[in-house]
Amino acid sequence: MDQPARYAEAWERAIILVDMNAFFASIEQADHPEWQGLPVGITNGLQGTCIITSSYEARAYGIKTGMRLKEARKLCPDIIQCPARPERYAQVSSAIMQALQQITPDIEIFSVDEAFLDVTHCQRLYGHPEKIARQVKKLVYDVSGVLCSVGLSGDKTTAKFAAKHDKPDGLTVIPPWQARERLEDVPVTELCGIAGGIGRHLAKHGAYTCGDVARLPISVLARRFGNPGRRIWYMCQGADPEPLLLNVPPPKSIGHGKVMPPDTRDKEALLLFLLHMGEKVAARLRRHGLQAQTFYVGLRTRDGWLASRQRSVLPTDDGHHVRALCSQFVEQCWHGEGVHQVQVTALDPRPAHGQQDLFTCNDEMQNVNRVMDSVNERYGEFALAPARLLNRSHMPNVIAPAWKPYGHRQTILKEYGTR
Amino acid sequence: MQITISRGALFKPLTYVCSVVEKRQTLPILSNVLLQLNNEGELSMTGTDLEVEVITECPAIKGDAGEISLNARKLLDITRALPEEAEITIISDDSKAVIRSGRSRFTVQTLPVEDFPKIETEQWDQTWTLPVSVFKSALARTSFAMAQQDVRFYLNGLLFDSDGTNMKTVATDGHRLAKTECELSSVLTDESITSIVPRKAVIELLRIIEDGDSEMKVSFNSNHMRVELDSVVFTSKLIDGRFPDYDKVIPSEQSKKLRVEKKAFHDTLTRASILTNEKFRGVRLIVSENKIAVSANNPDQEEAFDELPAEYVGEEIEIGFNVGYMIDAINAIDTDMIEITLEDANSSGTIRAPEDDKTVYIVMPMRL
Repeated sequence: MDQPARYAEAWERAIILVDMNAFFASIEQADHPEWQGLPVGITNGLQGTCIITSSYEARAYGIKTGMRLKEARKLCPDIIQCPARPERYAQVSSAIMQALQQITPDIEIFSVDEAFLDVTHCQRLYGHPEKIARQVKKLVYDVSGVLCSVGLSGDKTTAKFAAKHDKPDGLTVIPPWQARERLEDVPVTELCGIAGGIGRHLAKHGAYTCGDVARLPISVLARRFGNPGRRIWYMCQGADPEPLLLNVPPPKSIGHGKVMPPDTRDKEALLLFLLHMGEKVAARLRRHGLQAQTFYVGLRTRDGWLASRQRSVLPTDDGHHVRALCSQFVEQCWHGEGVHQVQVTALDPRPAHGQQDLFTCNDEMQNVNRVMDSVNERYGEFALAPARLLNRSHMPNVIAPAWKPYGHRQTILKEYGTR
Repeated sequence: MQITISRGALFKPLTYVCSVVEKRQTLPILSNVLLQLNNEGELSMTGTDLEVEVITECPAIKGDAGEISLNARKLLDITRALPEEAEITIISDDSKAVIRSGRSRFTVQTLPVEDFPKIETEQWDQTWTLPVSVFKSALARTSFAMAQQDVRFYLNGLLFDSDGTNMKTVATDGHRLAKTECELSSVLTDESITSIVPRKAVIELLRIIEDGDSEMKVSFNSNHMRVELDSVVFTSKLIDGRFPDYDKVIPSEQSKKLRVEKKAFHDTLTRASILTNEKFRGVRLIVSENKIAVSANNPDQEEAFDELPAEYVGEEIEIGFNVGYMIDAINAIDTDMIEITLEDANSSGTIRAPEDDKTVYIVMPMRL
């Protein structure tokens, strides 16, 4: 293939994946220059005992995510324990994602520390995709002081595969016309989204590498997995057809859970925790203009989850209704078992304010909620809240990997205001 | 027991009985039909799901009086599969029954007749008579608005409301409401009735009642409703609940009144509905001097726009509705023109046939 000539041409499709490595730890190191080059472990608050993530220096000692702090200290006595600051990470993430949007509006924010950019249509503006990729790296560093690894290719899967290659500060380019060849001997389970189950099915057909899969008839995958199966077939040839998801799809559920002191048997305490989670769920439904009618309410006991689905009369976004369902659940299903975790999840969130009802009129509660929401928007979560919540647990919020700087997944309220 | 009956006489009454028998039953006897032959050679068949009971009658060719209970679906499938002119003989034999026709023979299991549940009904408080066609059209005009599996269980049925001279039927799912009123031919007592008949019973009744001018009887007591037709006795439990105050939500005065050709409006809405949000099905109506514009769009930013002439004088109004609710109501009206009255974008719309104050459809708007 005449590569130099093709190099000069515009790519038919050019996708960049940006992956901020050891994101939370890197932010802490950037904010605490004295920690540069030292092993840092992030825990959930000072009381948290579990390593959420750690810096590259700590990983060199064999420290892994999910490890207990105690075990980590055995491997690396000098590890610096740093309580997580979700608001700060959210702020940095938002800043990075916003900066990236200056490069192209075609951006899919894949998680708190990953984003896909489709730069196909910016090649005339910025030049070769590789040049744009370098620009992306520099931009991320300028905005946040955090290093990132970048993968560039002609589709999402190959770009993601490329970004894994050179961590923590790499730039890997796989031109689309080389993608198939580069993936040929790569085990298929190394591609993003192909897990054990699919891998085992493919192994039954004697396909272990991407090249093997590409040689299978597409119908073998389609029969077992339908359209996602067909996509896998293309993914393995470096031709993942999936476009970037530019809009956050509507949520399938919205839930909050919290760990309680072990073996809690006090009904008031249970109801308080459920109320706390219910208010959070309701506030989040309202923030995104959603309502739900079916709620999962669960209490985790030593024997597993004690849980049920509760249905409200009409779709609701009001904490009062959610609390009523929770206490109904406690009355029906809880018989004094010791509980160490609670969960409240809205199972069928859908856009609110659609169809109006003939027989109900709850404008007053809606007004109260609206006021409460605008106060809390300005002064922080639960600045204004039902009085019972004064006694709530003050364990800090946890940031989920699926967090995004906008849309329904934004559970961490901004303290600093990035907009 | 032994009975011989023509397939033609057996088939249709049997389908009525089988339609109330649920496919999956926890009690085996509930998948059965009870056959009873009396000395006059009349065969009666009973099917039940403990909420609804259907008894049909048909003449036998010959037989010995007696009773037997056997699987309803199997008997129906066998009957259906036999040639139309066939004669069917059923002979009970210990715990089995033999069904014969021509050279075909089927041996099926039976269950003890004593185990077959009967809906026990006390005395009837009220019995109405009215023409079959009137009753059927009252159901057809309103039943589509019943709720389905709503948490408010009292909405999953049809309200019969009567002061003794008229019968009102009302259905609502909380978003729309259908109400119609008809005259009763006669009443037995001066008892007024406010009863909710469950959805399943209403749907079955619509299937069973055939058009015609004969009179039928409808009886109520506090727990049950019974409908007696020529050869069918249909009994249903009632829903024990309080139906919402429907009169309160029927607007008495609305300032904007328009008339539009029914078929043209129906077709316009159908076309626009293709590009509505599949889940919420909202369409926007813009009513202005002598025309209605209908527009819809979906989450993929696709749009539909359509327009049709209408008789309207007054200020422009824009209002959103679930297109399915509109089409349901329009389908239930059988005049060429329909009349729509509106107040503002946040108040309900009323649909009716012009000059008809008996039947009315209320639809709550959507915020779009």
